[in-house]
Amino acid sequence: MRREDVQPLLVQAADRLPEPDLADAAWAAGVQSSRRRRRLVVLGVIAFIVGAIIASILIEVGTSGNADITPPPNPPGYVEASGKISGIDFWVAPPPGSERFLDRLETPLGDRLELPDKVRPLAKHTLDSVAAVVLVKQGDRYAPVLLGEDGSWAQADIGLVPVGGESPLSAGAVSPYGRIVAFPQPGELITVNATTAEISHFPLPGGREFRSVSWVQDEQRVLVSGSGAAYQVVVGEGGDGEQAVVQVSATNDPDEATSPYRIQTGSVMRYLFNGRWMENSPLTLPVRSWQGQTMSSNTAAARVFIAENLPEVPTRVSQPQVVAAISTLRTLPSRLLVLGEPQDNPPTFEGAGDRPFVREAGCCVVLGWYDDSNVLFRVHGWVLAWNLETGRVRRVTEMRVDQVALGPGLRL
Amino acid sequence: MHDTVDPDFASFVDARQGRWLRTAYLVYGDLHRAEELLLRAFTQLSVRWTRVDDPDAFVQRLLYQPAMRPWNRAKPFPDEDDQVKRALAELTPAQRTVFVLLHLEELTEFEVSELLGLSHTAVHAHGMSAFGRFRSALGAGDWRDAR
Repeated sequence: MRREDVQPLLVQAADRLPEPDLADAAWAAGVQSSRRRRRLVVLGVIAFIVGAIIASILIEVGTSGNADITPPPNPPGYVEASGKISGIDFWVAPPPGSERFLDRLETPLGDRLELPDKVRPLAKHTLDSVAAVVLVKQGDRYAPVLLGEDGSWAQADIGLVPVGGESPLSAGAVSPYGRIVAFPQPGELITVNATTAEISHFPLPGGREFRSVSWVQDEQRVLVSGSGAAYQVVVGEGGDGEQAVVQVSATNDPDEATSPYRIQTGSVMRYLFNGRWMENSPLTLPVRSWQGQTMSSNTAAARVFIAENLPEVPTRVSQPQVVAAISTLRTLPSRLLVLGEPQDNPPTFEGAGDRPFVREAGCCVVLGWYDDSNVLFRVHGWVLAWNLETGRVRRVTEMRVDQVALGPGLRL
Repeated sequence: MHDTVDPDFASFVDARQGRWLRTAYLVYGDLHRAEELLLRAFTQLSVRWTRVDDPDAFVQRLLYQPAMRPWNRAKPFPDEDDQVKRALAELTPAQRTVFVLLHLEELTEFEVSELLGLSHTAVHAHGMSAFGRFRSALGAGDWRDAR
């Protein structure tokens, strides 16, 4: 048998098969198969969605609404609030004497804020950003000494006179970007530019004693205020035709006129840049009197007040003082920190610093903000930081100087 | 996909269905199975009719590759008296598939290897041994005498 003989044999073997007609049947089956596949895809998608919904419901039910996939309601290290005062959550600060044992917030101020033995003149050692300002008494005058963000000190070449018998250092002295420091003086406002060592004088209407300064956010204008009088002074370029000095409505509290917000009894006011204010939000707190200036962050304004007697935090020998951090955004809550009393009974009065010391009225003021979460305030002998998100209080530095004003160079 | 059959598809099927049914019948040794596989292959083609580049190769792969699978153990041509069919039944499925494609479809060894996913050497070996066994089964002597 040869190879060419095979094909006729195979053709013959398959010769009597019926002739098929598969075109219509195949096409119809294809149409059905195509529809079935489409239906399956749709059903699969629906089943997946239903399954996902059921799974999410089961997870939610199985974890009593606290599923792992939801973020925790509070940040790590959160301390529960002690209660509410006028509808605002409040925390109680660690008592006097316990400051040394608090966790520390690292800043260029170091563990202890004290003047170095030698300070270079600012003209020879300019600073990019000011972290803190202190005044050194030299005879009957004060010399401003600036601490830079790198921890180095420099002294400005100017002698400042006291105002109203007190040092002319205001908590709001350092400009928002840390380049300029402003001091109220009789009949004038003096600014020291830390980046160039330039000293400028801006005359003020006479006959008044100005006690505090507060920078407008654009770093071009300063609010200078005394008892019953306040002015907006242009220290930068200003606008076309803008008056160099504009009167600002003020109260008898020399520390009240601050920008961009001021906290006062009954409301939080926002400064409008033209010498006027508008109410940002109403405020109901048991305030007897306000202490120090209002210091603002991007989200809140903070100020210390001496409270009426608080049934929530009873005190025995002092009037309760409270750091009020009032949110300027509707979405964030306001918070209060009640400064406590020594725990020993009866309280001892041995001195300042880390020993038990009653926080007398006027001892404590807000000095500024480390960032949007941490408000910095002074108690007797210490600068402390209160984290609004966790409620924790940390120590910043032990003060070996009488007064200090803080600036943005503080942030490491 | 329209409900009415595509005329091009109908022409394609009409032109090939008879020949492919005969080939599949000899490969599987079962007319019912051959027809079923051919209908399934055409159905698959109809779903992809506008997207398939080479419809002939597409259908032939679907039609003949199942014969090569190891679980394809159905006995071919049961109760057949025809000598040729009995000779085909004595071949292994792979030998029978290669043999039928080489001699009835007149494909080259390269075309068969591509169609079945086998190497050219394997196709050649299957073809030679199949031819030898086919000849012996028909009483035509040793395959080495073939010309």
